[in-house]
Amino acid sequence: MHTTVAAERTVALAPPEVFALFGTAGSEGWLFGARCDAVAAGAIVSMRLPLDERGGTGGVDVLGRITRVAPAAAVEIEHTQPWRGRLSLRFAPAGSRGTRVQVRASVPPEGVEWLLHRRGVPLPEPPDDGAVRLGAITTASGPGAVYSMSAELMARLAVDEINDDGGVAGRRVQLLTADDATDAEQAALEAERMARLGCRAVFVNATSASFDAVRRVLEGRGVLVVHTVINEGGGDSPTAVRFGERPSAQLDALVAPAMRRADARRWFFVGQSYVWSHGAHAAAYRAVAHAGGQVAGEELAPLGTTDFGDTIERIAHSGADLVLSTLVGADEVAFERQSEAAGLRRSTRTVSLTLEESTLAHIGPRAGTGLQTALGYFQDNPLPGNDGLLARYREAYGSWAPPVTALSETVYEAIHRYARVLHVDPDGTTAAHGVALAARRPTRRDDTIGARDLVAPRLYVAEAGPGGLEIVDAVAGGR
Amino acid sequence: MDPKEDLAFDALSDRVRRRILSVLGEEGELPVNALAERVGTVGRTTVSSHLRLLRTSGIVRERREGRNRYYSLDTEGAVREAFTYLQSILRQAVDEIDDSPPAPAAVDPDRERGTG
Repeated sequence: MHTTVAAERTVALAPPEVFALFGTAGSEGWLFGARCDAVAAGAIVSMRLPLDERGGTGGVDVLGRITRVAPAAAVEIEHTQPWRGRLSLRFAPAGSRGTRVQVRASVPPEGVEWLLHRRGVPLPEPPDDGAVRLGAITTASGPGAVYSMSAELMARLAVDEINDDGGVAGRRVQLLTADDATDAEQAALEAERMARLGCRAVFVNATSASFDAVRRVLEGRGVLVVHTVINEGGGDSPTAVRFGERPSAQLDALVAPAMRRADARRWFFVGQSYVWSHGAHAAAYRAVAHAGGQVAGEELAPLGTTDFGDTIERIAHSGADLVLSTLVGADEVAFERQSEAAGLRRSTRTVSLTLEESTLAHIGPRAGTGLQTALGYFQDNPLPGNDGLLARYREAYGSWAPPVTALSETVYEAIHRYARVLHVDPDGTTAAHGVALAARRPTRRDDTIGARDLVAPRLYVAEAGPGGLEIVDAVAGGR
Repeated sequence: MDPKEDLAFDALSDRVRRRILSVLGEEGELPVNALAERVGTVGRTTVSSHLRLLRTSGIVRERREGRNRYYSLDTEGAVREAFTYLQSILRQAVDEIDDSPPAPAAVDPDRERGTG
């Protein structure tokens, strides 16, 4: 049951004036510094809760969409991060030139649980009801929250479908979820808890740093670890499986065509200072050299960077005409928005390795247009089975639910695939399950939802236009 | 204490509090000595002062039996505290709406923000 928390105040402004103070792209609004490109139904909105961040630096992003606007009277917001909830604003005339402003937050039990857990209160331990337990570690807070909007929803959809189908070897499947807060140490703590509660497998839909930490902490514990997002590779074993796109294949699909199209050859690499960008940039140096290009510069920023002013200046002065971004989440959003604002689009073209629908939506059409990426799944790619998947997703979570992305579709397929492995061999060892899960089956030439090659996915090159990501090319899978 | 040290101190305090809560979550109820032993790294006095703070904010419950004090998680108290927090930030948000009349150019810039 949702609980409602509300606050109100009468202000000395007319309703249209107060309404106009709600956030815009240029300035932050009064409601937790609300930022949105337009106050209109469907617009992406981000706000910052003044919550003591673990470690001390301030604030947790509330990410969602405006779902209804009545000019000068009401704004409704549905948010996904850090929990799924609703905010509603009402503006009612009060006196001759005043407005009664009311804000209501509808908080589900999971929201309260998230808040308590953030304060350090351990999550409740569900009683053992004989179900097969699976864990999903996703990112609901920190810079990774942007790309993880639909991950938990898609993991849950897979588990619900498995249960509707009779479960696994006659047993129900129960999903335990946790937020890694874009922090490897937190991911390891959550994985420990999942192992303690008897999870057979933990799906990590989070950074490579989190995957590494989870893999280490669960080593030898009889729990299969499955990474389900685009990654640089390495660290896999019979009990640690990595699915998703690989930078070398993405770069093969992107680098040479980008150079041809722009008639350009000087690159600048921008990424994060952790294992993902280290691996991706190593592959990029090879790809650029192979295509006859040069690298004019490289910059690695710590995850959580919000100001890319210096980086953008360095790119502008480097003479680069092509930019490769391996930034992720909120960092990628900030970089692309600031690049556009600084006029960098006039002299450079950008390819981005993690530009899925959610991240692009936060970048916005203005700064996003022209960016290119190559991923294994796009929500608007008419693959066989995709319409059905999207219909089931919207049926379960509503029409304003965040987009299904390459990341969340991969966790969905991985859970289904694992359930089939477990169904066939319920008493097998973790390693046997891992080997069976990672085995590539001869697949048809055409991709089909539910049977995509998750090991070396077929890639689709897409370019962001005013209407979102449009597919311009398809290439064979590779690693 | 410079701001950096201050931050490090906060983070450390936070870790100890998290550890206390996590131990209480696993063990249910513990006397302060056993709790301090399980928390490790810091002394009993530090644990006691964190417990006092956690008790004041309603997250931890204290029970006295003879000369001993036992501590356990107060989940209801923690939920109440979470709602109090949510309430307070919504309050803060509406208080931030700036409805002061636009200040004339000559006015002290400090006043321009209004009272909100």
